[in-house]
Amino acid sequence: MLSPGEIKVRDSIDHLFRRHAGQMVLVLSRIFGFEHLDVIEDAVQDALVAAMKKWPFTGIPANPRAWLIEAAKNRVVDNLRRSVKSDELLDEAATANGIDTLFFGSEMPDDELRMIFACCHPAIAPDSQVALTLKIVGGFSVSEIAPAFLSNDEAVAKMISRAKGRLRKRQVALEMPVADQLNARIDAVLKALYLLFNEGYIASAGDELVRKDLCFEAIRLCSILASHPVTRLPRVHALLALFLFLGARLSARTGLSGELLLLADQDRSSWDQEMIASGLQHFRLSASGTRLSEYHLEAEIAAIYTLSPDYSSTDWARILECYERLQQRKFSPVIELNRIIVLSKLSGPQSALEQLNKLELGRELTNYSLFYVTKSHFLTQLDRLDEARTALTTAVELTNNEPVRRFLIKKLCALNDGLFA
Amino acid sequence: MPNYMLLLHEEPMDYSQFSPEQIQAVIGEYVAWRQKIEADGNYVGGEKLKDEGGRLIGSDNGQLRVTDGPYAEAKEVIGGYFTISAADYDEAVEISKGCPHLKFGGRIELREIEQLT
Repeated sequence: MLSPGEIKVRDSIDHLFRRHAGQMVLVLSRIFGFEHLDVIEDAVQDALVAAMKKWPFTGIPANPRAWLIEAAKNRVVDNLRRSVKSDELLDEAATANGIDTLFFGSEMPDDELRMIFACCHPAIAPDSQVALTLKIVGGFSVSEIAPAFLSNDEAVAKMISRAKGRLRKRQVALEMPVADQLNARIDAVLKALYLLFNEGYIASAGDELVRKDLCFEAIRLCSILASHPVTRLPRVHALLALFLFLGARLSARTGLSGELLLLADQDRSSWDQEMIASGLQHFRLSASGTRLSEYHLEAEIAAIYTLSPDYSSTDWARILECYERLQQRKFSPVIELNRIIVLSKLSGPQSALEQLNKLELGRELTNYSLFYVTKSHFLTQLDRLDEARTALTTAVELTNNEPVRRFLIKKLCALNDGLFA
Repeated sequence: MPNYMLLLHEEPMDYSQFSPEQIQAVIGEYVAWRQKIEADGNYVGGEKLKDEGGRLIGSDNGQLRVTDGPYAEAKEVIGGYFTISAADYDEAVEISKGCPHLKFGGRIELREIEQLT
C-alpha cells in the first residue's frame, strides 16, 4: 500500500504517476515496437484513467505499477488486434509473464536513454525535441508543456504529433546511435536538455511549480546520460553541474508572497547544499579530456556565483573572463547582456551603459524584458531617473511572468517615489 | 450506530486530457479521505460499479422487459457507493462533505440503511 505521503503531488520530487506514465511508454514500446507509439500512449492514458476511477473504491493495489502496466498492456493488445491482423508477436506479448520484471528496480537507464535519443532525433526541430521528450519520457501532459512554450494546448499537441510523424516517416528505431554519430547525437540531446532546463528556469511564463518540475526533469535526464558508460562524457558532466548549481537556488528565487528575488537578495543559507555538493562532484568529473564546451564555461560561472560566501564578494573578474571566452566561441546577445552586467560591477555603470547601447543597435534584444531592466538599473545608478523609468516601463510591458511583473512594478513604484537608488 | 449509503452520482466525462499528475492528485484525495474515515471508525465499505454494460429491468403492461443501459452517454450515472456508519444524519452529512467526489463535480445521494431492530 502507498502511504498518503507517497502519493502527495507537487513537491517536485514525488511524481509517481508522471514517472509511471513515462516508464510504461518505454516498456510497452520495447515490447510492441516504437512504431505503435500512438496506440501505446493512448493505452497508458486509459490505464491511468481506469486507476483513477477504480482505486478510490477498491483501494490502491499492492503493486500499483504492475497493475497499471498490466492494464495498459491489455489495452495495447486489444487495440492492435483490432487494427493489425493478430500475429504471433502479439500473442507472445499478451501472454508474457512477469512483465513487471522488465522494470529493473525503478530505473531503466538503457530504455530511457534510447527513448531520449529518439525524441531528440535530428529530423525534429529543437523545440519539438524538448516537447516530445517531456511528453514521452517525462510523462508530462500537453497542458503542462504548453505554458513553458508560451503556447496553447492545441499548438503543442500539433507540434508533438508532427514530430511523431517525422519519426514514423524516418522509421526511427529505439536504439543507441552508432559510434560515428554518437558525438553529434549526444550534442543534440544536450542542447534539448539545455533548452528544457531554460524553459523552466528563465522566468518567461507559467506556473512556478510546473516550471520547477521542468528543471528537475532536465536534471533527471542529464543524470541518466552522466551515469551511462556510453554517454558519460566531460561535457555531459559539465551540463549536469550547471543544472545542479542553478537548481540549488530554485526555491530561494521567490519570496514569501511569490515575488522574484534577485541573486543579491537571496538567502544563501536556503540554497540546496546537497545539490551544490553533487554539482561540484560533476564539475570535477567534467574536468577531463581536451574539449572545452560552452557548458564547461557556464558551469564555471554558476560555480563561482554559488560558492561565493555573499553577493558582494563574488569574483567578478573571473566571471567576466568566462563570459568573454563564451563570446569568443559563439556570440549570443543574451550572453553579451550578462557579460555587460558583470562588467558594470568592475568598471561602473557609465561604460556598461555605453556597451549596452551598442548592443541595443543590434536589435536582437528589443523584445527581451531583462535588457530593459538592466538598462533601467544602469540609468538609475547614473541618476538619469526619467530615462530609467521609461526603460523599466518597457520591461514591464514585455514580461508575461506574474512574479517578475510584480517585481518590476514594485521597482517602478519605488522609482516614481524617488525611493529607489 | 446506523449505517448510511453514499450513492455517488456523476456525469460521464472525457478524461483523455487529464495529466498523470492530475490523476495522481485525484486518487490521492480519495485515499486521504478514506484513510481518515477509516481511522475515525466510520468506514464500512465501498464498491465501484462498472462503467460499461448494465441492464434496466422493468415491466411493461405486465410483461417483463430487459433493456441495455444506462449508457455511458446518460446524463448522470451512479459510479459507485460507499457505506459508512454515523451517529445520525448530521454526522453522516459532515463525513460526506469531505468526500472528494463533490470537489470533482459529482453529487452524493445520502441515505440511511434500514436496520432490523
